[in-house]
Amino acid sequence: MLTPVVIILKICENNLKKLVIFLFGGKGVNRRQFIKRALYGAGGTAVAISGFGALTKAAPKPALATATNEETTVFSSCEMCRNQCPVAVKVVDGKVSKIEGNPNDSGFGGVICARGNSGPSMLYDPQRLKKPMIRTGERGSGKYKEVSWDEAYTYIAEKVKELQQKYGGESVAFASRKGPHDWFFRAIGKGIGSPNIFSHEATCPMTRSVALHSMFGSEAIAADYGNAKYIVSVGRNWLEGIHVAQTRSIMKAIDNGAKIVVLDPRFSVTASKGEWIPIKGATDLAFVMAMANVIIADGTYDKDFIERYTSGFDKWQVEVKDKTPEWAEKETGIPKDTIIRIAREFVKHSPKAILDFGWRTGITPNDYQLRRAIMFVNMMMGNFEVPGGYYHKKYAAVLKKFPEMSSYAKTLGDIYQPAFPKPSTYRIDGTGIKGIPGQLIPEGDGAVSQIPESILTGQPYPIKGWFVHRFNPVISVTESDRIIEALKKLDLLVVCDIYMTDTAMFADVILPECSYLERYDKVFDMSGKTPKYVLRQPAVELVYPDTKPSWQIYKELAVKMGLGHYFPYEDMEEFISRQLAPAGLTLDYMKQKGVWTPEGMKPFYIRANDHTASLDDIVHRTDSKIEFYSEEVEEATKQGIPKYEQYPQPQEGEFRFVQGKVAVHTNAGTANVPVLNELMPENSLWINQESANKLGIREGEDIIISNGKYEHKGKAKVTQGIRPDTVFCYHGFGRISPGLKRAYGKGINGNKLINNVIGEVGNVCTSMSFVTVKKA
Amino acid sequence: MAKHYGMVIQIAKCIGCQACTVACKFQNKVPEGQYRTMSPAVGPIGTYPNVSMHFGKEACQMCQNALCVDVCPTKASHYDENGLVMVDADKCVGCRYCLAACPYDARFINKETGAADKYTFCFEERLSKGLQPACVSTCLGGSLSFGDVNDPNSDVAKILGKSKAEFRLSELGTKPRIYYIYDGVVK
Ligand code: SF4
Ligand code: SF4
Ligand code: SF4
Repeated sequence: MLTPVVIILKICENNLKKLVIFLFGGKGVNRRQFIKRALYGAGGTAVAISGFGALTKAAPKPALATATNEETTVFSSCEMCRNQCPVAVKVVDGKVSKIEGNPNDSGFGGVICARGNSGPSMLYDPQRLKKPMIRTGERGSGKYKEVSWDEAYTYIAEKVKELQQKYGGESVAFASRKGPHDWFFRAIGKGIGSPNIFSHEATCPMTRSVALHSMFGSEAIAADYGNAKYIVSVGRNWLEGIHVAQTRSIMKAIDNGAKIVVLDPRFSVTASKGEWIPIKGATDLAFVMAMANVIIADGTYDKDFIERYTSGFDKWQVEVKDKTPEWAEKETGIPKDTIIRIAREFVKHSPKAILDFGWRTGITPNDYQLRRAIMFVNMMMGNFEVPGGYYHKKYAAVLKKFPEMSSYAKTLGDIYQPAFPKPSTYRIDGTGIKGIPGQLIPEGDGAVSQIPESILTGQPYPIKGWFVHRFNPVISVTESDRIIEALKKLDLLVVCDIYMTDTAMFADVILPECSYLERYDKVFDMSGKTPKYVLRQPAVELVYPDTKPSWQIYKELAVKMGLGHYFPYEDMEEFISRQLAPAGLTLDYMKQKGVWTPEGMKPFYIRANDHTASLDDIVHRTDSKIEFYSEEVEEATKQGIPKYEQYPQPQEGEFRFVQGKVAVHTNAGTANVPVLNELMPENSLWINQESANKLGIREGEDIIISNGKYEHKGKAKVTQGIRPDTVFCYHGFGRISPGLKRAYGKGINGNKLINNVIGEVGNVCTSMSFVTVKKA
Repeated sequence: MAKHYGMVIQIAKCIGCQACTVACKFQNKVPEGQYRTMSPAVGPIGTYPNVSMHFGKEACQMCQNALCVDVCPTKASHYDENGLVMVDADKCVGCRYCLAACPYDARFINKETGAADKYTFCFEERLSKGLQPACVSTCLGGSLSFGDVNDPNSDVAKILGKSKAEFRLSELGTKPRIYYIYDGVVK
């Protein structure tokens, strides 16, 4: 018999220490301290705990009033990130007690991520915005008065009118994180005749969209990870940049024996599940070109596919002729034999192979060419419209074109908006102008980081007003200080959000949106291999009665601005019913299930059974061919075929500075959400052990990071899991808004250290900054 | 055969996403700053660029020879009818003997109830209603499985039939019900 009390509590100390270090990167906190910290409560204030062994209770046990009450389930859609996963919200006594995945959706299997699980803690967060506010002090001073919605609307309407009269409607820019609110939000911008309407996409996947559009004439291309046997990530990190359906598919593929190869300067969680290739930063295109070179030299590409479905391959062949593995070894630091092996393994597993096209792209100025080259290699192997390759999303409009599938095609209705006035001038970023790179920028997105430039320089014409919806450019867009400088120069800044974000703190008017758990939104089309519609509906009454859903805010504002006719609906029940009616669906049905997919439909790959099946209905380029060479790209950037551009590498003593996502936070969105903040309150700077030794920097030490123009304080996480010439931090920390009480001043805001260089097709460039690091 | 509940953790499939950690908090109303379970990282181990890493779920191991039950002066810590280790918060006096006794450091004093607290397989809230534990049903990586090890048709039995499982600190003779499978993992 063991004497229990003497069994020492060391056992899992190491493991927890490692979690804490991995997630937080801070000082080594071992489990005992962790528990101690937990026991001692948030903020380190000592909670009275009876002495060890005292036979008294620490605190009375509160009656759990909810325990006896009925639990109901409301099917809705998550918004802790942009992915809109279908959820089952558990409600007890009018309060959300827990959120789960919607079991009616087989792609999700009732699963949601840590952020999705944390929804209730955001919903009831006392730090949310609760009332409309108008600024009373200096910009950024945090001095505001609470006002009625009517006062807020009146203030905005008057200011906008002034700007329209003085500078024209084009002087007011609109930017949002892309989402269902855009139908309403953008109607205000279009209504006043502004061409300057932007999404956040330039900070995230826009170069990928550009690439897909240039090849397929459609951005709606997706990867069938779950059925793939060989998957190569070029910086993609599915296991930390969580997209529940995709993350699960990757794990399913691994479970079925797929091999994962990860090119990333940092050892990510995804890298830990496969072969990690710590590629030299900004050289990915060299690797991809060398893959093409090997496959062409081997003669193993899918000649029939290329012949049948593509155009311009000959020009690509010429371009990669000298991009040998030997050459790529010098560029990328990856041994040539490794490159050859990966290329051959990729061929061996094709068409069930995916060279991944990325998510948060925009690594370099010509990143769109990397994304095109990636898709070229996939198309060289015919990894398209077969299980385990890429496919075009099968939404209703696509299925309609296939007689055997058309019965599954139920199209959502549009709500008619009267014609908007035609903007009197071009956009500030040149989007859509032929003969310049702007020709390639997706019209619905734009180059969002041009807004601060135009505010500050007045070029090509001045921006004087800015509406920001659920977007936080101070943290999300490169060069935070420059953005702040720009915000300070505005005549009008309107921010609608749920928290006092780092951008909201500079606003003239703050409009508090209610959370996703308290509102309807437009029905989402989330079609993938089959059509899918998802509903968001309120699970509970408004927690803070003076907050409102965006569809109501912008409708009411529009009425005040004389734009009410662009919002031809009474409420969202009506709006949604009108969307659903043409599909033969009802709001009631959607409320009961939360999600609709056609019953009995199996995933549909056009070439699954017939490798010669026509792709004319999904490829919308000249002669319905997938384009290697693109006339349009040639016209816009003189690079109809991607050319390799050699970017500088860090000098001795410098590091390339890169960023990434972590599984427990969403970009600039969740640092202040109570439960997520508790799990990971701050980030730190990953630095290679050997590099840290040279600088005399130890684990957890305070450091100063500098890019020559800006400095940032932080803590070092010394690790073997990163290239010696690279440093890394997770994105979304170092928050400057005191209104985010938990997140304020904690960690590093990476975008402060990245200069606002606008990429060739309007993208931000995330990985082109070099920094030095020293002990604080 | 009698039911023998067990949790199987396939370490290679855990991605450290902490969905389980958070689901447990809401399911069991675990106070701020306290956790019944977590999935910490082990690593990176090795030297650049030859490194590896995995995640190991921390939780009460549901011992069949539970030291916490042995030391509890009030019988608050006990085995239920399925042989699972449970805490009766009403009987608990917060003496912390069990916290010290647990070789897995799995217990804490719940700062709201004042009673000893730990991972329970969500017995009352879910298992008794035929549901899987909250962590299992939200497991994003597919690492967690739960069920009756004695039922050959259960997921757990099938996985255990294929792979060799380990118990933590098996040398202590605690006979846990949490089975760790390290296939495909560099320890
Ligand atoms: S990935 Fe997570 S946060 Fe994003 S929508 Fe899905 S559950 Fe919510
Ligand atoms: S803290 Fe409670 S459960 Fe633990 S030994 Fe003491 S009385 Fe028993
Ligand atoms: S939910 Fe599953 S994959 Fe995620 S940390 Fe928990 S055990 Fe691991």
